[in-house]
Amino acid sequence: MQDQHIVSAFDRDLEAIQAQIMKMGGLVENAILEAAISLETRDEERAERVRRADKAIDELEELINEEAARVIALRAPTAVDLRLILTIIKVSANLERIGDYAKNMAKRTSVLAQMSPVNDSAGALRRMAKEVERMLKDALDSYIARDAELAQDVIDRDREVDQMYNALFREFLTFMMEDPRNITACMHLHFIAKNIERMGDHVTSIAEQVVYLVTGSTPDESRQKADQTSVTAPE
Amino acid sequence: MNDMRIVERDVDTSENKIAARKVQVYYGDTHAIKDVDVDIADKTVTAFIGPSGCGKSTFLRCLNRMNDTIDVCRVEGDILIDGEDIYDKRIDPVQLRAKVGMVFQKPNPFPKSIYDNVAYGPKIHGLAKNKADLDDIVERALRRGAIWEEVKDRLDAPGTGLSGGQQQRLCIARAVATEPEVLLMDEPCSALAPIATAQVEELLDELKQNYSVVIVTHSMQQAARVSQKTAFFHLGNLVEYGETGQIFTNPQDPRTESYITGRIG
Repeated sequence: MQDQHIVSAFDRDLEAIQAQIMKMGGLVENAILEAAISLETRDEERAERVRRADKAIDELEELINEEAARVIALRAPTAVDLRLILTIIKVSANLERIGDYAKNMAKRTSVLAQMSPVNDSAGALRRMAKEVERMLKDALDSYIARDAELAQDVIDRDREVDQMYNALFREFLTFMMEDPRNITACMHLHFIAKNIERMGDHVTSIAEQVVYLVTGSTPDESRQKADQTSVTAPE
Repeated sequence: MNDMRIVERDVDTSENKIAARKVQVYYGDTHAIKDVDVDIADKTVTAFIGPSGCGKSTFLRCLNRMNDTIDVCRVEGDILIDGEDIYDKRIDPVQLRAKVGMVFQKPNPFPKSIYDNVAYGPKIHGLAKNKADLDDIVERALRRGAIWEEVKDRLDAPGTGLSGGQQQRLCIARAVATEPEVLLMDEPCSALAPIATAQVEELLDELKQNYSVVIVTHSMQQAARVSQKTAFFHLGNLVEYGETGQIFTNPQDPRTESYITGRIG
């Protein structure tokens, strides 16, 4: 299939909207990393910057949705073009949610900075966030390269994030049982872990969209859910 | 979840009306249709799409032997309607065309009254026993053509005096008056305004309850809107044939993809 449309303005529209997705992706990757660093370094000012930066992400999502609606209305996209527009709408929604989770991490960081640190959990959370950020980068790369294999790899890697979350969940539970004074901090830390785990799910959803974009069908839901905390109780 | 799907898009029947096997068409030395195999379902709208000169109209015209009128044109292979070879020597093309109606790109009403335009076919095929019977047939056909309300008070007025969209619906009424089983439409809306186009498309949806409709269209959006099955022709080959939703969301052949997404190809 040829890459270019006969109507070159159609190509320009699609390129513009994809550039916005990439810009949004960059902002979100940055938000994840910055939120994790501010948590580990207990840097309230940095956390505040993450919170403020979320506005730009939200605005981009709105812009992308408007542009996508315009392309649908004016260009009546079909086949791969239609799948591209549908993918763009969903990916921008996923990115926006990931941005929200990063913002929520930053909010909790401001609270946690006032308390004494709990073990090395902030380091573990940063490693987990780093993994999710890497997955997001690969998911966006797979989107640009139309690489369904790389996207499938990202989908598979979400399992590791789920396992990291399981481990942290048990760790926080132990800390809280050991010393009730840890409860407030551990609750916040647990929500942060959960936020990062949910980011992983949204990254997975982006990767699934890439598979759909490239192949025309969504990957089957055979992926095992490694998050078992919903059935975990203190022993 | 399956019942949540948009059911109108489904093909209502699995019965095939037309079967074409290894059809070749030559115009002199030009090989216009190459080895086309296709099954066209009954009570379904099937759209033929493809770039200019791809053979879609040529193939459509094979289905009621309109190509017989072109001296240099030669048709090979088998085309069966209800299992009967329409190119068999015993088949009378006039009878065939009563069974396989056709509507053309340009509205072409006869220079006669609206009534006579519709009554002509039933008369020559002896479908009416008497005048009252013929009146019924004309009214029914005009109603099917979704034009009865607009012309019922001036059936004696000339058909050529109607607007373009009305003329085209009159031609559709004329085509259905002989109770055909297959309706072929070659670009029926290309000369019509958007509202008239919408009326014809609405009509197609009703006609498919009774007929096997085959439409050739340059408007891919129209094919997507009206048909349940779509066939893509390219350089005389039938490249891809499938359910319309699939063709427009996930075509399997790169040539189909290039064409329907408006890429050079």
